[in-house]
Amino acid sequence: MFELILEGFASVLTIKTIAYILGGVALGLIFGSIPGLTATMAIAITLPITFGMEPIAAMSLLMGLYIGGVSGGLVPAILLNLPGTPSSIATTFDGFPMAKKGQAGPAFGYAILFSFLGGLLSIIVLMLLAPPLAKLALEFGPFEYFAITIFALTMISSLSGGSLIKGLLSGLLGIALAMVGSAPIDAFPRFTFGFKDLNAGFQLLPVLIGLFAVSEIIKSSETKLKKGQSVQYKLKGFGFSLKDFFKQGWNGLRSSLIGIGIGILPGIGGGTANIIAYVTAKNQSKKSDEFGKGIPDGVVASESANNAAVGGALVPLISLGIPGDTVTALLLGGLILHGLSPGPLLIENNGDVVYGIFAALIIANFFMIAMLFWGMRIFTKVLSIPQYILLPIILVLCVVGAIGVNNRLFDAGALLFFGILGYAMLKFHFPITPVILGFILGPLAETNLRRGLMYSKGDFTPFLTEPIAAVFLTLALLSVLFKIRSNYKKKRDHDSNHTISL
Amino acid sequence: MKNSFKGILFAVTLLVFATVLAGCSDTSSGSKEVEASDYPTKPITVVVPAGAGGDTDANARLLGKYLEEELGQPVVISNVTGAGGTVGANEVLDAEADGHTVLFFHNSLLLNRILGLTEDSYDTFKLAGIAVLDQGNTFMVSGDSKFKDLQDMVEYARANPGEVSIATEVGGFTHLQLLALQKDQNIELNIVDVGGASEKVTALLGGHVDIVPTSLGLVKDYVESGDMRSLGIMASERVDLMPDVPTFAEQGVNSEFEKFFFYGFNPDTPDKIVDAFSKAVEKVVNNEKYVKEAEKFLVTPTYLNPEEANAYMKKAEEKYIELNKE
Repeated sequence: MFELILEGFASVLTIKTIAYILGGVALGLIFGSIPGLTATMAIAITLPITFGMEPIAAMSLLMGLYIGGVSGGLVPAILLNLPGTPSSIATTFDGFPMAKKGQAGPAFGYAILFSFLGGLLSIIVLMLLAPPLAKLALEFGPFEYFAITIFALTMISSLSGGSLIKGLLSGLLGIALAMVGSAPIDAFPRFTFGFKDLNAGFQLLPVLIGLFAVSEIIKSSETKLKKGQSVQYKLKGFGFSLKDFFKQGWNGLRSSLIGIGIGILPGIGGGTANIIAYVTAKNQSKKSDEFGKGIPDGVVASESANNAAVGGALVPLISLGIPGDTVTALLLGGLILHGLSPGPLLIENNGDVVYGIFAALIIANFFMIAMLFWGMRIFTKVLSIPQYILLPIILVLCVVGAIGVNNRLFDAGALLFFGILGYAMLKFHFPITPVILGFILGPLAETNLRRGLMYSKGDFTPFLTEPIAAVFLTLALLSVLFKIRSNYKKKRDHDSNHTISL
Repeated sequence: MKNSFKGILFAVTLLVFATVLAGCSDTSSGSKEVEASDYPTKPITVVVPAGAGGDTDANARLLGKYLEEELGQPVVISNVTGAGGTVGANEVLDAEADGHTVLFFHNSLLLNRILGLTEDSYDTFKLAGIAVLDQGNTFMVSGDSKFKDLQDMVEYARANPGEVSIATEVGGFTHLQLLALQKDQNIELNIVDVGGASEKVTALLGGHVDIVPTSLGLVKDYVESGDMRSLGIMASERVDLMPDVPTFAEQGVNSEFEKFFFYGFNPDTPDKIVDAFSKAVEKVVNNEKYVKEAEKFLVTPTYLNPEEANAYMKKAEEKYIELNKE
């Protein structure tokens, strides 16, 4: 094992391969940090270029892109309140408030360091435990998936801000939006009103950047556009002390484990891992009231989880040849075209490439932290660009990104529609994150419910009697009860305070 | 200093923007008639209405790699998924008819019309021919399955109607294969939707279903590792690439299917351009290097020219309509 890892490193430690990894991470960071452009696009564009390369060099480049693309999202999330990818939604919750308070430096420090640690931990897990973990993931059938999505949907209650009712409405809106287009399984068109373009439904990216980014840009036009802010960040190291670091230890570890766990399950992936880790951190924290107002714990939770999801997503790919999301599907295509056959024999037949991939991932992770660390100063300068120049550029990039998903102009229109919708929601104080959660999880729940019922020939009991499914449905129930109790308590405290003050 | 920095940042942003735009621009530019003799004048987008990582995607990318050499222009694969493949098909029909956007798809296109999902089918497109045939359409069971062979499974299913679960993607090519088996043997299976190719593999490995219909080339490693066994292939006779695998016909089941992968253009595309593309496909299919690489997927590169492809697909459609009648 140890020897294999050394061989893996030996195979990537050539100047050419290192340069590929470096270039991959840099390009990935650029794609990840621009709202609308994603790791998926970076890999899709680069994939054909890698055909001429040796498999190890090609995979090294792609791994660099993957790590960079996932990590870059933290930059606009913290600086501009724009999540560039679904995996950095939760980073905006506390990252941006921290930046607003003048703590952009520490926010970056936490985000970068814990991205690195989360990523590294997941790669180690990938190297040591991939085959048994993949076997475990196979246990998850439709009953289990349905239960886990229902559990994840209960997170909405903790993301609703002031009003639980508004949060639930937002979540339902997200589920309803996801129902537009061809139904899962029988492909029957729903809510398309005869428009052919709606048959494909809405894509996640236009919905996400429309609701989060375009709405923010519209909102900023309410005020007189500011000249660039001259932001001064004096930074020493990562901007926080060793003691602060250890305080985040358990939070970082727990969030990384959540990221790995969610990442392994094909189909759910990093987009939800960061939100689930964030909510878990919030609910378990003694200072849960400070979440959302700029607390490092929130940034740590989100960023450890989304980078940890990378190693998780590679577990079923490397050990079984099963892709969990669009990025790993592209990587699978890349492996196939290099004459490798991803599947149960990949490690046995092409161990050199697999351990090369592991080594490349570790090296890419180090490049990522170095580039982001030294880049911190440069990124904060983005704010010094006058907003009337910066925001239009971002808007254009959002449109490019939306079209890039499927090469359809329709998605650009959808982006603007969701921008206006998001703006209206901001105005009426509806939380936006539940929409995204509903949008991602709603179709998963529906598909797996229908598939499960096909398995059981219409019988609902397996949803309750399958052990894993039962555990998650119980957790979902507990999560709701817990919320009711805490709301009740809050209300009682509030009321009693009220009477005293009278 | 600060200003120059701003300049650099601005330049970098523009550069990235320009690069990305260049990457996506091939559907937007150039409205004038393209002379067939110049074709192709810019990168060709091959629309694949299936996700990355499956067999459609793999075949499209491999062919694309060699087509690039023949055509002298980059061949870009664009995965456009959704609505059983109709979204991708529409994209080609909506694109400019200048031969720079082409559909690469398989049997499911025919099924989409038969099932009423769309009004478009093979005859809506101007076909540039068929490039690849896959005769390895198989039913897989897990390595420790109680079914020894196809007949064993059929007998069990006859004795226990609705007990044997078989995975499919409803409305897809494999769904048709199940209907054919049920009809031919007069048995009833529990048909379960699990999704696309990789989800089928997951469902079988996880023990969630008894049988998974798929393409043998996609799962040959699982056969080697002992995780899966094949119950046979739906070819008319044994295939050289997999001589040990019995056919369904040998085992008394009358069910023959062949997966075909074709190229189709917008119907308004000039014949000369379609011809030029078709010639390039023919050359690739006859290229030994390509054939050797394609055989790794256990597929048979076979060139059928546009007329032959039309006749072939017409026959297939008639058969599918017949099967779909209940």
